[in-house]
Amino acid sequence: MVGLVLVSHSAGLAEGLREMVAQVAGDDVPVATAGGTDDGRLGTSAPRIAEAIRATLAAGADDVLVLVDLGSAVLSLELALDELEPADRSHVRVSDAPLVEGAVVAAVQASVGAGIDEVADAALGARAMVKAAS
Amino acid sequence: MAEVRLSVLDPAGLHARPAAQFVRTASRFQSDIVLGIGDKAANAKSLVGILGLTIRPGAEVSLTADGPDADAALNALIDELGAAVERVDGTKP
Repeated sequence: MVGLVLVSHSAGLAEGLREMVAQVAGDDVPVATAGGTDDGRLGTSAPRIAEAIRATLAAGADDVLVLVDLGSAVLSLELALDELEPADRSHVRVSDAPLVEGAVVAAVQASVGAGIDEVADAALGARAMVKAAS
Repeated sequence: MAEVRLSVLDPAGLHARPAAQFVRTASRFQSDIVLGIGDKAANAKSLVGILGLTIRPGAEVSLTADGPDADAALNALIDELGAAVERVDGTKP
C-alpha cells in the first residue's frame, strides 16, 4: 500500500488534515505528519520530515507520497531526502499537488490498493478540481 | 451495460466522505462505471472526477456500468448510497 507524509509549516494544520484524511479514506492508509519546527514554531524541519517518511515505511507502506503546503517546505524536504538511506529514498515520491485536495484524493486512491504511480497521478489531478465557480 | 437513474435526497448532496466511500466501493469492480449528471460525467473510481461533478441535493444522476460485474457493481453502489438516493423510475440495475 502507498502511504502519505503531510508536510506543513503548521503542526496543527498537518494534524487536522491527517484526521480528515483518516475519516474520508479510512485508517488503513499509513499517514504521518511533519508540521512545524522542532521547537514548535511555524516552519518545516528536515529531521521531522525524514522521521515521518521512515515512520510511514515502518508502518507498512511500500511507497510514500509526500505532499507539502508551501513551496518553501521543499527546501527542508530536499534536505530530508538527502538524509534517508538510498533504500528508503527510492520509495519516496514528492507531489506538487495542493495539500488538502491532494492528500484526500491520494489517500482514497491508496485505500483501494492503487500503486504509487496511480496515487501520484490522482493527487496531481486534484489541481484541476474546481471548488467555486469564479 | 447496466444503467440506473437516481435522485439525490441527502440534504448535503454528495460530499467528501460519502463520495470517497462511493469511489472505494466502485474500485472493487472490474466494470467501467460512470456517474453522470446533466451533460457531465465522471469515472466513478476517481474522487477528483466525482467531486468535480458538484452533485447537489435534488439532482438527478445516472449510474452506468459496463463490464462482467456491471449488475453487481450497480447494486453495491446503490446499497452504499443507501438513503441518500432513490431510484427515479423504478429501473433495476
